[in-house]
Amino acid sequence: MGIVITVTSGKGGVGKSTTTANIAVGLANEGNRVVAVDFDIGLRNLDMILGLENRIVYDVIDVMEGKCNLSQALINDKKSKGLFFLPASQTNDKDVLEREKVKNLIESLKADFDYILVDSPAGIESGFEHSIAFSDRALIISTPDVSAVRDADRVIGIIDAKSEKAKRGEEVQKHVIVNRIKPDMVERGDMLSIDDVLGILALPLIGAVPDDEGVVSSTNTGEPIVRNDKALSGEAYRRITKRIMGEDVDYMDLKAKKGFAAMFKGLFK
Amino acid sequence: MSLIEKFFGKKKASAESAKDRLKIMLAHERAENSFPFMDDLRKDLIEVIKKYTEVEDIHITTEKNKDIDLLEVEIVLGKSTKH
Repeated sequence: MGIVITVTSGKGGVGKSTTTANIAVGLANEGNRVVAVDFDIGLRNLDMILGLENRIVYDVIDVMEGKCNLSQALINDKKSKGLFFLPASQTNDKDVLEREKVKNLIESLKADFDYILVDSPAGIESGFEHSIAFSDRALIISTPDVSAVRDADRVIGIIDAKSEKAKRGEEVQKHVIVNRIKPDMVERGDMLSIDDVLGILALPLIGAVPDDEGVVSSTNTGEPIVRNDKALSGEAYRRITKRIMGEDVDYMDLKAKKGFAAMFKGLFK
Repeated sequence: MSLIEKFFGKKKASAESAKDRLKIMLAHERAENSFPFMDDLRKDLIEVIKKYTEVEDIHITTEKNKDIDLLEVEIVLGKSTKH
C-alpha cells in the first residue's frame, strides 16, 4: 500500500507546487513508483513545473466523475520512468470535489503506487480539506517570513481535525520544509533562521531549501531542479527525498559565502 | 554584525522583531483555534441562564498557559431594577 503525502502551506506562493514536483521526481529517480496529484482545482500549475502540460488529455475530476479510467488520465514522465502525474481540472466550480470520490481515487492510487504526493491548494477551505483528508503524512512548506509562518501555524493546527487518520486515533505525521532561505540575510539577523521557524512551529524539520535563482529558470523550462546535479537547491531536494524514504541524511551547511571581499564589505556596511 | 556596528551599536535586527511578534500573535491565535465551539457554547449558556434570570450578554475569554487551558465566563445580567 502506498503512502499518501500532502504538501501544504496555508499561504500561497511559498513553493508548494515546486516542492511537490521536485520531491516527486526525486522519489521516482530513487526507484519508486510515484504519482503527483494536483488538487489545486481551477488553478492548474503542477503540469508546467513538471514540464508535462502538453500531454494532458483528462484530469482528476474526469477520473472521479467516471468520464475516463484512471490509467487514461495518468501521464507518465518520460524522463523519470517511475513518475506519473494526475492534473487538476480547470473548472470554476470550487465545490466539485466530493469526499467519497476523493477517497475512492486515493484508495485506487494507493493500490498502485509507493508514494502519492498531493499538491494542496493555498488556503484552508474545502480544497485543502480534501487534500489532507486521506493523508498519512504532511509536508508543511514555509518561507522564513511572518505571513508564511503564521499561516503554516494555522494549517498545522487544523490538519488533524480534517484528517481521517486522526479520526482513527492516529496522527498525521508532520514535517516542516523551510523554503527560500537566504543564508547571508540570516547571518545579518535580517531573516528568521531555520531554528527560529522550527521553534515557532514546534515541528521537526525534514529539509531546508536555499533561495536559488536556478529554481526560477528550471520552472521556466519545466525541468525540476532536482535533476540538476550542480544546483544547491537540487541537492536540498535530493536529501529531502531520501529522508522521506527513511534514510538518515546529513543536513546541508547553509552558510553565507564569505570571500575576502565580502568580509571587507561586512566591516563597513 | 559588522565591526563598526559593534562599536557604535545598531537597531535590533529585524529577525528578532519578527520572532517576537509571531510568538505573541500565535499564542493568541492558537488559543482561539483550540476552542472552535465558542459561539455555540455562548448561545447555549445564554439559553440555560435565561431559565433562571434575565441575561444581557455573555463574554467568554480564553487563556492558554503551558499546562492549563482556561475559559473565563462573564455573565452580564443587566441593570438591577429590583430592590
